[in-house]
Amino acid sequence: MDILTVIRNFLHDRLGVDPARITPDTTLAELEIDSLMLVELIFECEEKFKVAFDRDTRTPANIGELIAIVEEFLATAKPVKAEAPAQE
Amino acid sequence: MRRHRVAITGLGAVTPAGVSGDDFFARLLAGESFIRLHTVDEPPGPVAQPAVRCDAFDASALLGRPLASATDRSVQMALAACFEAWQQAGLTREERAVRPDFGVAWGSALGSSSTFERGYKEMWQNGRERLPPMSVVMGMSNAAASQISIQLGLANASLTYVAACASAASAIGEGYRRIRDGEATLMVTGGGDVPLGYATMKAWEALRVIALADADGAPASCRPFHPGRSGLVLGEGAATLILEEWEHAVARGATILGELAGYGTCSDASHLVRPDPAGQVRAMRLALADAGLSPDDVDYVNAHGTSTIEGDAIEIASLRELFGERAGEVAVSATKSMHGHLMGAAGAIEAVATVLALQQDALPPTANLDTIDPACAGVRHIVDAPLVGSGARVALSNSFAFGGCNAVLAFRKAEA
Repeated sequence: MDILTVIRNFLHDRLGVDPARITPDTTLAELEIDSLMLVELIFECEEKFKVAFDRDTRTPANIGELIAIVEEFLATAKPVKAEAPAQE
Repeated sequence: MRRHRVAITGLGAVTPAGVSGDDFFARLLAGESFIRLHTVDEPPGPVAQPAVRCDAFDASALLGRPLASATDRSVQMALAACFEAWQQAGLTREERAVRPDFGVAWGSALGSSSTFERGYKEMWQNGRERLPPMSVVMGMSNAAASQISIQLGLANASLTYVAACASAASAIGEGYRRIRDGEATLMVTGGGDVPLGYATMKAWEALRVIALADADGAPASCRPFHPGRSGLVLGEGAATLILEEWEHAVARGATILGELAGYGTCSDASHLVRPDPAGQVRAMRLALADAGLSPDDVDYVNAHGTSTIEGDAIEIASLRELFGERAGEVAVSATKSMHGHLMGAAGAIEAVATVLALQQDALPPTANLDTIDPACAGVRHIVDAPLVGSGARVALSNSFAFGGCNAVLAFRKAEA
């Protein structure tokens, strides 16, 4: 699954946001994503792509920047141990 | 210090009757038990108990997905009950409102323990190494008070009271004190608990105080004051009382549903689980003294009445001591026979029942009480049907908790 789809699915499930509203140009402010929600979103990306963000990772301003950050980690960061999927 | 009167201007309840204090109370007057056999089938083996579950509670529909997905079930129920009470009080929800004179005092015995129980299960049963980042703020003990404060803009005190089965009564009482003493104009008070997680049920099972499924069917499993009573029934839910400074309520034209006239709290300081009549009587006397009332003024007692063999007899002994020769005239019922024991929310759901009982002049019965245990005799038990038209004006709502925490609320029928 591509990064944008993961983000769209998460924000739809968590906030009920219409996936079509979410594009790389959409700002986090437009989606009312605060610091706590951003931590959730980062966690979701870490879980889905098995990467670990550094604690001092820059704060993205929009969805495109978040996708770029995940791509950087996918290319460079060491993968975290795979885990069993979450039970819903 | 000037003493302020405290009006009740809104009620809310989440029970199997839905999100409605009025519907809940109508079902109590009908003597309807919400108790059903509840089974949780999980490793290492199933647990089954008579219990009260709010199966139709739909948090997403009531609160919206963003809020529902960021809160524990106990907090979801708390919010639903508070929103109902807030609306009944004629108050409006405004985004980003900040009301420095309005606060919240909330009670819960278990808080958001379901969130942690789910997390432990994920780690130790399913092998996950990490928990979701919301786990801390969803699971913290003051999660309900925090969300209530944020959602309603309550910027006075935001306090959480943990006193086992007296949690909500303590929260209501302490919230009342803030208004009485002029520290707040309005307090959203009450409690919520969800004690039906697997581990919680297993822990209660081990204590050997949970009611056995009754031969007449699960709904009859909770029989306070009956010689055949076998224990308490766990229940989930939440209830809210909006407490408001009397003159403030009158000035804005609010409907006053009743008056919280007094509050008494004390500790037995003697035993973890065995209640002490001396502590119970002291708490009731403190509540009456705070209200400027005497035992002779009391018409109705909503008893703690959990349906345990020892606890029920001790409470009735306490009532006999408090009321003396008048004990036989004082109407008593234990509504836990129908809504179960809501743990930290018990004092709130019973306070809602008590306020409505005075307002409607209809005192709910104790269900399943076809025979009275001689050890529980000596008061005027309400059986079979509600006591309607008695003219009751003053009522006590008792909460006597594990740990020896006693909290008693004294209510007066709304009169100008």
